[in-house]
Amino acid sequence: MIVDHRATRLARSTRPPAAPGLLSEPRLNRRDALRLLGLALTAGVAGCRAPEDIVPAIANLDGNAAGVPLHAATTLPLGGYGRGVLAKSVDGRPIKVSGNPDHPASFGATDIFAEADILGLYDPERARSAMRGNLPLGWEGFLADLAPRLEVLRQAGGAGLSVLTGRVTSPTLIGQLAALKGIFPQMQWRRFEPLGDDNARAGSIAAFGRPLDLVPHLDRADVVFCLGADPLGPGPGQIRNAQGFRQRRTVRRGTTAMQRLYAVESATSLTGAMADHRLALSPEALADLAHALAARLGSEGAVPAGAHAGFVDALAADLTAAQGRALVLVGEEQPPALHALGHWLNQRLGAFGATVELIEPVDPVLDGHGDSLAALVDDLEAGRVDTLVMLGTNPVYTAPADLDVAAALAKAPFTVQLGLAPDETTAHCDWHLAETHPLEAWSDLRAVDGTASLVQPLIAPLYATKTSHEVVAALAGETSVAAQDLLRRTWQSAAPVGGFDGWWRRALETGVVPGSAAQPVAPPRAVQLAPHAAAPAQPAAAGITLMLRPDATIWDGAYSNNAWLQECPKPVSHLTWGNALALTPEDANRLGLAEGDAARIGTSGRWVEAPVRLDRGLAPGTASLSFGYGRTGIGAIGLGLGANAYALRTRGQPWQVEELTVERVGRADEMPVTQFTLDDQGRDLAPVHPLSDLLAGKLDRTKDAPASFYGEHPYEAPYKGPEQDYAWAMVIDTTLCIGCNACVVACQSENNVPVVGPDEIRRGRDMHWLRIDAYETEFDGQMQSVFQPVPCMHCEEAPCEPVCPVGASVHDHEGLNVQVYNRCVGTRFCQANCPYKVRRFNFFGYADGHVYANLGEDPLPARYNPDVTVRARGVMEKCTYCVQRISGARRDAEKDDRRIREGEVVTACQSACPTQAIQFGDLGAPDSRVRPLRDEPQHHVLLEEVGTKPRTTYLSRLRNPNPALAGDGA
Amino acid sequence: MTAPSALGLLPPGATYASVTASVADPVLREQAGRRWWLVFVVGLVLTVVMLGSMFWLFYEGIGIFGNNTSVVWGYPIANYVWWIGIGNAGTLISCMLLLTRQKWRSSINRFAEAMTLFAAAIAGLFPILHLGRPMYFYWLVPYPNTMGTWPQWRSPLVWDFFAIASYIIFSIVFWYVGAIPDFATFRDRAKSRAGQLIYGALALGWRGSARHWVRYEAFYHTMAALGVPLVVSVHSVVGLDFAAGNMPGWQETIFPPYFVVGAMFSGFAMVVVLAAVTRSFLKVEALVSLHHFEAMAKILLAGSIVMGLSYATEAYQGWYAGDDVDRTFLAFQFHGAYAWLYWCQIAFNVFVPQLFWAPAIRRSIPALLVIAVLINVGMYLERILLIINTLSRGHLPAEWSLFAPTLWDWLLLGGSLGFFMLLFACFLRLVPAVSMHEVKQLVPAEAAA
Repeated sequence: MIVDHRATRLARSTRPPAAPGLLSEPRLNRRDALRLLGLALTAGVAGCRAPEDIVPAIANLDGNAAGVPLHAATTLPLGGYGRGVLAKSVDGRPIKVSGNPDHPASFGATDIFAEADILGLYDPERARSAMRGNLPLGWEGFLADLAPRLEVLRQAGGAGLSVLTGRVTSPTLIGQLAALKGIFPQMQWRRFEPLGDDNARAGSIAAFGRPLDLVPHLDRADVVFCLGADPLGPGPGQIRNAQGFRQRRTVRRGTTAMQRLYAVESATSLTGAMADHRLALSPEALADLAHALAARLGSEGAVPAGAHAGFVDALAADLTAAQGRALVLVGEEQPPALHALGHWLNQRLGAFGATVELIEPVDPVLDGHGDSLAALVDDLEAGRVDTLVMLGTNPVYTAPADLDVAAALAKAPFTVQLGLAPDETTAHCDWHLAETHPLEAWSDLRAVDGTASLVQPLIAPLYATKTSHEVVAALAGETSVAAQDLLRRTWQSAAPVGGFDGWWRRALETGVVPGSAAQPVAPPRAVQLAPHAAAPAQPAAAGITLMLRPDATIWDGAYSNNAWLQECPKPVSHLTWGNALALTPEDANRLGLAEGDAARIGTSGRWVEAPVRLDRGLAPGTASLSFGYGRTGIGAIGLGLGANAYALRTRGQPWQVEELTVERVGRADEMPVTQFTLDDQGRDLAPVHPLSDLLAGKLDRTKDAPASFYGEHPYEAPYKGPEQDYAWAMVIDTTLCIGCNACVVACQSENNVPVVGPDEIRRGRDMHWLRIDAYETEFDGQMQSVFQPVPCMHCEEAPCEPVCPVGASVHDHEGLNVQVYNRCVGTRFCQANCPYKVRRFNFFGYADGHVYANLGEDPLPARYNPDVTVRARGVMEKCTYCVQRISGARRDAEKDDRRIREGEVVTACQSACPTQAIQFGDLGAPDSRVRPLRDEPQHHVLLEEVGTKPRTTYLSRLRNPNPALAGDGA
Repeated sequence: MTAPSALGLLPPGATYASVTASVADPVLREQAGRRWWLVFVVGLVLTVVMLGSMFWLFYEGIGIFGNNTSVVWGYPIANYVWWIGIGNAGTLISCMLLLTRQKWRSSINRFAEAMTLFAAAIAGLFPILHLGRPMYFYWLVPYPNTMGTWPQWRSPLVWDFFAIASYIIFSIVFWYVGAIPDFATFRDRAKSRAGQLIYGALALGWRGSARHWVRYEAFYHTMAALGVPLVVSVHSVVGLDFAAGNMPGWQETIFPPYFVVGAMFSGFAMVVVLAAVTRSFLKVEALVSLHHFEAMAKILLAGSIVMGLSYATEAYQGWYAGDDVDRTFLAFQFHGAYAWLYWCQIAFNVFVPQLFWAPAIRRSIPALLVIAVLINVGMYLERILLIINTLSRGHLPAEWSLFAPTLWDWLLLGGSLGFFMLLFACFLRLVPAVSMHEVKQLVPAEAAA
């Protein structure tokens, strides 16, 4: 009894029951039971083997030696686009992902999704075999079932065959589908990506006559205007854009200019938080402002009279002055007309070819996502589909609410879904094929700029899984072809004649297919702006407009079952394990709702329930809700959390719900958040300075170092050359921190940081070693947030050390404040005395025995970094500055009888950071990169007055406001 | 302090025999009454609750408490500070009042010492129970070991460990030595063979010879002289557990004396409760008279004034220093989430005891009992608020969070109270609860008057 209790104590019991048929026990006959037994035997044998022909990134072919990590370049998908990564594998187990410096959608950095793919690989609820209903009949069984159908289809010319995919950028898969179309001329390839780009495409067609993708170059822009766009927010282009942002926003001694970023948006976004000027406007007001700007820049048509004339004037002047160095970005959520207007503005500002490039669409399907899915549903309902193959998509969950995919699926006689794990669609399919995880698979992908890169496996598939390539090949009659051969076939032509093997090897080593980036195309025609009709009189803000947005940590729901991402606090709100209806405090007040109250929201008979969260950054009259929650058919981690925003989405209005009805439920939902107040109590903990102050020399804080009664600490003695101990230190530039959380998840992955689950988060027991504190600041009457990543400060005068009765918290000679886990008795005095509260305590055995939900199950322990202790119950833990990486570098250096080189030790958070906001190194090195940062005028020490002398310090946030808007409420 | 005169501390016509009879007979000659059984059974049930909670704690881990990442300490530490405070008064009464020749102490010192012993023992449990890995509590002891590890002497927790350990050892020895002559009396009056043997063993062959008395008095007074600094040190060190930290509301030099007074205050309040109980159970109204209660009420009154002064000083200094963090802490204390508890604390510890200015209240047992219980509640509030107010409002607002106790927090606290009841009930039925030999020293003086 006790054991039962223990196993379920942290598992939530308040979940809805699983979808019927998914988790219920199958009725087995003798034959099936034997089959299952055989499957179980083979599954056990297959584990943890590195594939034989993997090519490591660096030429360490002895990387297969026991315990020696192997790094190999591969590519991970997000929304169908690739981001190049280097995956680290130890003894055949991939354990960490970091960025691939050679890949243009990574530049050596990662995002939370790439980092969390490690956990996804070992998800115990992944599909393990091809299942027909509840029977694990295996791939052979599927082929046997498929063969007669293919025969019929072949005779019918493919009529009745439909393939549904998400966004496909893989040249191999595109080629395969084209070839399939050759075999089955009547077949339909439908594609539906929940977070699609229909508006952008339509805008491009309106502007240029055909769809073109936009590749922004933030690194080339002096002035950036984001019109509802969130280039720094989550998405396949995030790392790339953040990298460009960094290049023009980094301020060091001698820097005299900085990019200026304007953001006008309805919901809050990371871009809005980082903007120098932000305006929160309702969608209508936002469109008005865009047209007013266009008018100001010379468009014809009516000029809406807005309340933001001052803002528009200043913005127009700034953009015009930066002709050729200005950039306008329009968010996908905006209507096509605004996209077209954005193109016009870019054309007017000379941006094409300068700060933004047009390329042929990376995703070659010309149909709109919504249209394509609707066509499929039409076909299904009309009985025109006989065989439906869904590759990595979950339309039952992600389809707009006005398309009843589930009912339509029932009309197809033979439906097959390929997916990593069973989901909402699975219950409506005849077959579920287990999909190979990208870290186990051979494939190829294109990045947002069109660059192709190869996906190579770090580990042989854990289960009897297949890739999309193999499934499509099977449809084409090639039942035994390996994905790698398909891949080689695709790229044979790209390689120089006769040199394929060498070319292939290099492409795998570097992780990028050379010269594959899309060539920019000139705008096909001059953009003509459709005259803007005079804005209809604004209806007196009666209803609430709900903005539907990608979720900051679980994207479109693809990461719902990923515990790292569920527990990763969403930027600013710090909400975990769920989504919430964000309302302005005024609207909430008007509706009689307070923070945490459950609200019933919906329109036209579609309702969901979500807790209310107050968001002072929203435009009046707007609300927001993120996609990806309210799951009913997935595993133990994501099941039943939050509200399903797809249930409110319609084909016509994929990104917003107008005239939203919000009702009180009369219940409070305590949200699992990790930061309860955004108010810094006037303590100026995360200072923000205008660039002009810095340039005017007003920030030189080096002179007013705090006085001390005591002598200088020996650490601060002058450095004595090579014999000097290393002095590790970190400087975090908050001007660059976009709050994306990549560091948080990277730290979790590197340091075996446990997941505690929503109940423990509600009790305030978050375990992240690195957290991103956010403080709200008001600039020009607009609410924005300053992000402050807080790892351990590694104080030279660490308050945690003298209070530990057993000496478990000690200082090492290199300035690390280290925690000796096996000495810790768990008094917690160290954390009580830590002014930064960066220590984390294992109140339960989070990593062992008291794990949340399924996190203790096989094969999840395989994800652990073998260089880092998995902490036991009852001990304190905290950021170590990735001491295992320092030790690794030291071993290498000692082998060569040299000092550790500058830049040789890169902490996990630093490596993940897409803006290089985190810098780490040895203060004593002659070429130290960190030391000069500590002398920058905007350098500041968090809680300097406490006298802890932290080794982790900060560069204050600098903003570059337009002097013309100074003090203007816009 | 003007002690109550020796007059009136004993009933008229008290003789050596009557004193002995009134203490020993309820234990050795009479059956336990219904009220005793009630206390015993309630104490036993709650003790089982405590043991069950401890089992669950060791099985599950300290996550069963309401603590969180910012408020890492909670009830167990408050329990510890509160119990050790209770445990302060017994020794204080025994030693300080003995050395200052306050004769009235002799009627109450034995059970006050027992209270000390039990409270200190219970207090000593909590620092172990609050550990993440309680099985390694002995790592705080400097013992030679193959790992070459040693305690970290700068930590107040190590000082604390020594302070508690020496205090408990001292309390046991002092209590036992003081009871030796009375154990001899029990030995002589015991009817059962077992009683004669057990009390005989405890009496260590005491015959009451003049030489015995000389050695006894010398030893007892020396112990008392040693005890006074211990009384001060043990709770000063508890104060240092907090004062050595750098958190707002903790880093205050006033803490050691303030803690000592607080301990004396809560301890005396508990003595009042126990005196009332003992008096009624053992029917020793004759020996524990209203004079005693009045004397203790005056001490409580003095204590409440010092406490009020300490609270005011603490608040004033926090405000006067002007540090933003300290002022935020004060504001939170005065009108934050736990402010109502804080105002209860002030009311119970400072204002309610002012009723003792009225002589009638000082001499009313029910009023004394109610006020003493309120003081004990108020002092518990002080201990828990000391922890959660500070840890809820630290230096970084991003890490501010509130604390809410769980069922297990309450069960362990309630269980420890029950354990105390059980121990005290056993004490009343097994041990001479009033120091007969010291009371008898008053007989000639009373007779002379």
